[in-house]
Amino acid sequence: MGDYLGTALAVLGAVLAAALAGCGSAIGVGIVGQAGAGLVSEDPSKFGKALILQILPGTQGLYGFLTAFLLLTRIHVIGGDFSPITTSTGLMYFFACLPMAIAGFVSALYQAKAAAAGVGIIAKKPEESGKAITFSAMVETYAVLALLISVLAIFSISGIVG
Amino acid sequence: MAKLKMKRVEIVSSIEDSQDLFDFLQRKGVLELHEFEDVEGMSRLSVGATVSQLDKYLGITLATQKTLDKYAPEKKSLLRSLNGAEELSVENYEKRASDADGLLSECMKILSLSKKIDEYSAEIVRLTTLAEGLKPWLSLDVPMQYKGTEKTKAFIGSFQREMTLEQLLSEIAVADDSIETVSADIISSSSDLTCVFILCSNDEEKKTEAALRSIGFVRPPDPTRHVPSVRYGKYLDKIKEAEKNRDECKKKLGEYKDFHRKAEFAADYFTIRRDRYKGLSNIAIDDKLMAMSGYVPEVYCEKLKKQVEQKYTAAMEIYEPEEDEDVPVLLKNRRFGGAIESVTEMYSLPGKDDVDPNPVMAIFYYVFFGIMLSDAGYGLLMVIAMIIAKAKFKLTAKMKKTTDMFLYCGISTVFWGAMFGSWFGDIVKVVAVNFFGVAEESFPSLALWFEPVVDPMRMMLYSFLFGIIHLFAGLGVRFYMLWKSGKKLDAFCDVLPVYLLVTGVAPIGANVIDATIMPPIALTVGKYLALAGAVLVVLTSGRSSKNIFGKLFGGLYGLYNTGAGYLGDILSYSRLLALGLSTGVIATVINMLATMPSNKAVKLIMLIVVFPLGHGVNIAVNLIGTYVHTNRLQYVEFFSKFYEGGGRSFTPLKINTKYYSIKED
Repeated sequence: MGDYLGTALAVLGAVLAAALAGCGSAIGVGIVGQAGAGLVSEDPSKFGKALILQILPGTQGLYGFLTAFLLLTRIHVIGGDFSPITTSTGLMYFFACLPMAIAGFVSALYQAKAAAAGVGIIAKKPEESGKAITFSAMVETYAVLALLISVLAIFSISGIVG
Repeated sequence: MAKLKMKRVEIVSSIEDSQDLFDFLQRKGVLELHEFEDVEGMSRLSVGATVSQLDKYLGITLATQKTLDKYAPEKKSLLRSLNGAEELSVENYEKRASDADGLLSECMKILSLSKKIDEYSAEIVRLTTLAEGLKPWLSLDVPMQYKGTEKTKAFIGSFQREMTLEQLLSEIAVADDSIETVSADIISSSSDLTCVFILCSNDEEKKTEAALRSIGFVRPPDPTRHVPSVRYGKYLDKIKEAEKNRDECKKKLGEYKDFHRKAEFAADYFTIRRDRYKGLSNIAIDDKLMAMSGYVPEVYCEKLKKQVEQKYTAAMEIYEPEEDEDVPVLLKNRRFGGAIESVTEMYSLPGKDDVDPNPVMAIFYYVFFGIMLSDAGYGLLMVIAMIIAKAKFKLTAKMKKTTDMFLYCGISTVFWGAMFGSWFGDIVKVVAVNFFGVAEESFPSLALWFEPVVDPMRMMLYSFLFGIIHLFAGLGVRFYMLWKSGKKLDAFCDVLPVYLLVTGVAPIGANVIDATIMPPIALTVGKYLALAGAVLVVLTSGRSSKNIFGKLFGGLYGLYNTGAGYLGDILSYSRLLALGLSTGVIATVINMLATMPSNKAVKLIMLIVVFPLGHGVNIAVNLIGTYVHTNRLQYVEFFSKFYEGGGRSFTPLKINTKYYSIKED
């Protein structure tokens, strides 16, 4: 049995990506949900529109999950054929996860704020709800970019170390 | 097909025909009215009071609908709500409309019943509170107003705290130890209220009262003339009666189950009337004539003129709008481009100098949607759902466009899913490996092109390539617009340098990401193209500046702007890869979870449960994400290249009903 430190570091990275992005999304979805519940108490027919806004900051959690899953399969913690990786490889994987973990957390929060404000648009001008979605979706760009960097880094690192 | 050309029209009719003509125009719904300019001798109708009256009536019908939904709910099938409005002939409509006053008075009856229910409910709450307040006194067997016998004085009241008899007597004694004749009874005691009955001899009344006050004794605010239990009984009777009345009102409302459609008709009727009177505020009349003006799309002009002039004593003139007029915008596209009109409308309608972006945008929209959702199984589900929706339901024009849009998006998703080999993730492989014993390694890739999960770098480069094509198309439209408006030099200066620069830099950038894919010749050519592009950008982008330094710095600033701007724009298309991966990998995870158990039978049951649930959620989440990001690519990256927006939507005088539509014969 080899040294497990490398694998542990990589798992730490994966777990951080899933957990932090997940926390961000959980908080975010909660924030928009509160705003939405206020709106729906006045006008239940706007539930559908409010729900779409509520889901928006939920994607970061998904991205974090995706990153974690990809990494865990790469280092064979999921899916069998496990063999430990070196400490430096593990550290690389760990760093690769950070963009998703950090940007995922922060962007979910701010996306939620934009979406919660968008609930106001739905309340006053329901026909403009698309604009509310767009404002909020702008924030998500940075989660997408973070996801890309994390995923590409994971793929590239596994290419480098073979 | 694009923006419909608008004509300005003026219609003059005899006053006798004016009512009918106006109704006819409203049913046609192709004329947007404008305030008729003031002409001497003609006056305007003052309709404000009528409009607000009709608004009030409309409010009554809407409130009636809400009341009925609450007290006499109607089973609304999804089918009916999708099926759109019921069609009425003009004749039929007018027949039903003649009874509008009757409907309105029924509506008012319904509302007054619901008001009564509210009042009874409030009454019940009030009485219940009063009865609750009496409860602590129920075991008192004299009226609360009881003053005492000939020789004694009674004090009936309460303390705002818990108290025992001993405590009470000792507190009285402490307050005034000269009182001798006091006797007391605790009627009830709880943590915050103790009701007491205290008796003392007549001559000690003052002393006792003072002592009692000093320890917090208060008389009841509303002492009963009868024994408390009698009044309590009366309250209960009143509550029962109020409940009976309330239930009766509810029952009466419940009998209005069939009134839903009538209330809806009334709502539609008053909407039509209100819009009509709002429209009438724009016309001018004198004792013989009615005159109005407005905009009509050119395609409808001739037919409208014919109909107006044949049916009525009227004349219609058609004019070309002036250059500076605020002409409204109405889009008309073929099915393929028209399906995404709502996407453009959500951003902003094309402004005066804009072209309709939908025809160019459509193909990119569907392609990008497909790449981002990127699962053939999901696409297939979309296509099937949309085909069923189209076949089964009578959709409104707007719904038709939406179903068309998702149909095309679905087809594109099937195409790209097949290219990337994703059918509900990797379900084919999972089933083959788990249930038919195929070796995992020997299972071939289903991809017709390649799998992005296996080679994400390649997919990213292609994403950038698709992005560049998209941006170039946008620039192409800009070129066309500038060229058409006569700014031919600007057309070249704005577009050509960017084409050269981006085309030149692209292979060099690709080479940085993957050094193996670009042939050396592309790099060399790229270098020169990029150089030429950069020089041209520097030379042209400062051209509006007067002096040479302004031109130079404007040029350098332009180069920086173009470079940074296009780099950001192109990188933004990496979301094509990211969202595609997100769909695919999560679908794979769902399949993996579904086949976790080792026993084959359990595995099958798990699969049957987890598969629809998991993929259902994945489709829902990714559909929203894909829709949002496809829109974003159009709004931010594509529209910024040529589109101004800010057009005013064409709002004709028309029948704007929700539940019934009126068919012009």
